[in-house]
Amino acid sequence: MNNKKPSNARSIIAHVTLIILSFMCLFFFYILLINSTRSHAELQKGFSALPSSHFMENFRAVANDGTFPMLRGIVNSLIVSGCCAAICTYFSALTAYGLYAYRFKLKNAAFTFIMMILVMPTQVTAMGFLRLITKMGMYDTLWPLIIPSIASPAVFYFMYSYLQSSLPLALVEAARIDGSGEFHTFNRIVLPIMKPAIAVQAIFTFVGSWNNYFVPALVLQSKDKMTVPILIATLRGADYMNFDMGKIYMMITVAIVPIIVVYLFLSKFIIAGVTLGGVKE
Amino acid sequence: MAEVSLKGIKKIYDNKVTAVHDVNLEIKDKEFIVLVGPSGCGKSTTLRMVAGLEEISGGELYIGGKLMNGIAPKDRDIAMVFQNYALYPHMSVYDNMAFALTMQKVPKEQIDKKVREVAEILDIAQYLERKPKALSGGQRQRVAIGRAMVRDPKVFLMDEPLSNLDAKLRNQMRAEIIKLRSRINTTFMYVTHDQTEAMTLADRIVIMKDGFVNQIGTPQELFNKPVNLFVAGFIGMPVMNFFEGCRLLLDGDKYYAEIRGVRFELDAFQQKTLKSNGQKPCDIVCGIRPQHITVGEGDLTATVEVNELMGSEYNIHARSGDDEVVMVIPTVGLATDVSMGSRINFTAHSDLIQLFDKESGNNLIWYDAGSAANNAPVCKDYPF
Ligand SMILES: Nc1ncnc2c1ncn2[C@@H]1O[C@H](COP(=O)(O)OP(=O)(O)OP(=O)(O)O)[C@@H](O)[C@H]1O
Ligand SMILES: [Mg+2]
Repeated sequence: MNNKKPSNARSIIAHVTLIILSFMCLFFFYILLINSTRSHAELQKGFSALPSSHFMENFRAVANDGTFPMLRGIVNSLIVSGCCAAICTYFSALTAYGLYAYRFKLKNAAFTFIMMILVMPTQVTAMGFLRLITKMGMYDTLWPLIIPSIASPAVFYFMYSYLQSSLPLALVEAARIDGSGEFHTFNRIVLPIMKPAIAVQAIFTFVGSWNNYFVPALVLQSKDKMTVPILIATLRGADYMNFDMGKIYMMITVAIVPIIVVYLFLSKFIIAGVTLGGVKE
Repeated sequence: MAEVSLKGIKKIYDNKVTAVHDVNLEIKDKEFIVLVGPSGCGKSTTLRMVAGLEEISGGELYIGGKLMNGIAPKDRDIAMVFQNYALYPHMSVYDNMAFALTMQKVPKEQIDKKVREVAEILDIAQYLERKPKALSGGQRQRVAIGRAMVRDPKVFLMDEPLSNLDAKLRNQMRAEIIKLRSRINTTFMYVTHDQTEAMTLADRIVIMKDGFVNQIGTPQELFNKPVNLFVAGFIGMPVMNFFEGCRLLLDGDKYYAEIRGVRFELDAFQQKTLKSNGQKPCDIVCGIRPQHITVGEGDLTATVEVNELMGSEYNIHARSGDDEVVMVIPTVGLATDVSMGSRINFTAHSDLIQLFDKESGNNLIWYDAGSAANNAPVCKDYPF
């Protein structure tokens, strides 16, 4: 009896704390959603916690606005983020597998080199990168946003650790004896085993790419190439008094929806992925 | 048609560690060869070189008469069973077993027929749709064996396939491998560190230590004619007793072994072989198997320290001077008091005493310098 009371009190404190924290995290999203349903006039009047009825109106305004091609931006972002997630995870897994499963000279040197790149910030290499892609004729295209994601040291390291914990080399050897070629072994045996790790990293890469502002801002010029963060940033120049605020809130709402969809779609894998490597058979 | 021939096979890891020294081994078609030895002696390395999973650092490997150095594992027509099963975790049992045949582009109906046939033999037909995770250790091992069987390989390689199983299951699977063997009818190379497995399964045993082959021979040969102290000590349960500080004496034209001052006149065969080898008197180590000791007679004495009753026999651990002597004595008709602390006399028939040169550790009678020089040591063959 005696130790039930303190634990009750503790549980209450814990819950209250967590509720406050959750509220602080989610409040802004809530306001965003509410505001996207309100008209410009209503927004001028001030704060309201209740949704209004201008959702479709705002949405239509966003969809039809030629100067801020929001839907085009979303498509661009989807293309870039989707491609990044796919090639980043595939090639990182491939690299990690190569370093994990094969014995060769300079293996340790290669590993150290990759880890070194990990600590190099993008900003440092930006000028050189910009010159390079300009010379290659890829300025103001989506390619410079996609191709560099092939090499991602952080994802590589995650994949490497995952392989260490869950791919016995005997499996690879068994496949070799069974007559499977090296690439076939990777695609048919290793990739399926790495599925949880790939799912987690695909989500992280997707979100990272979706939210990336720095590189697209350097590279993209034309409106119809822009990704969502760039488009939203251009709104900053808008006159807040005259601009339709309901439309802006709608744009931001539309911008975060794909991320939420991706998350819901893959959340099963995320939860599995967080505990990765923790449990061994 | 699938002889395996190792000629001076060598493995050097990272240009430093020599894991296998010059192994010479001729495996006949359909022979069951067991590689046995203590941990780290190079058994797995040898097997993996035959499989093609490990590069051969020196020497030549022939399978079915064809040179195999540098040939990819898939082109060697071998199958291998791994210690930890190495089943593909995301595939069903059926797909695991069918994988190799799919790779060979065998028609679907044929694969299906073969997989079901093998599954029937191994009694895993009811698990074909399951994933390996949902199987017990013994069932997984059957699947691993089945995966190798469907291919009808020229050579069947197994690296400690039973060591992950518990003792009871291991005995059961061992018996099944013996049964399977007659059905599979191919050449086997089997690695284990368990001498019971080696003795019961093998046509011939290859016993290794520190990367060197110490003796190649049938289980009976290894047991009765060990060429050196290592082989004598490795094979046999309980371990052979070794008596240090013994002498080989030549008195007139008769050889004697002197153990703690007690003379044993060697028997006619030993006399003849030692004479034909021109053996000089020397310091020796005498080896006597626990099963070959008789108590209650003879001039050697010991004090019983531990006495284990194992049903039909006693395992007696006795102290005789500096040596601990283990004896296995049948309980039936035992007239001597063998309770703990009692003094007993014991002896052994001289033809059951193994004589090892103290310096080299080689058996004075069975060590064959010729075959040992070829790195394929077998026990010496006498024309009489
Ligand atoms: N990849 C490697 N690099 C360096 N040395 C190795 C490597 N693999 C094995 N060795 C060494 O080679 C020797 C033989 O190893 P091997 O695995 O063949 O032994 P084993 O007889 O199979 O032993 P166990 O019964 O423990 O499996 C050992 O000393 C081991 O340390
Ligand atoms: Mg081994």
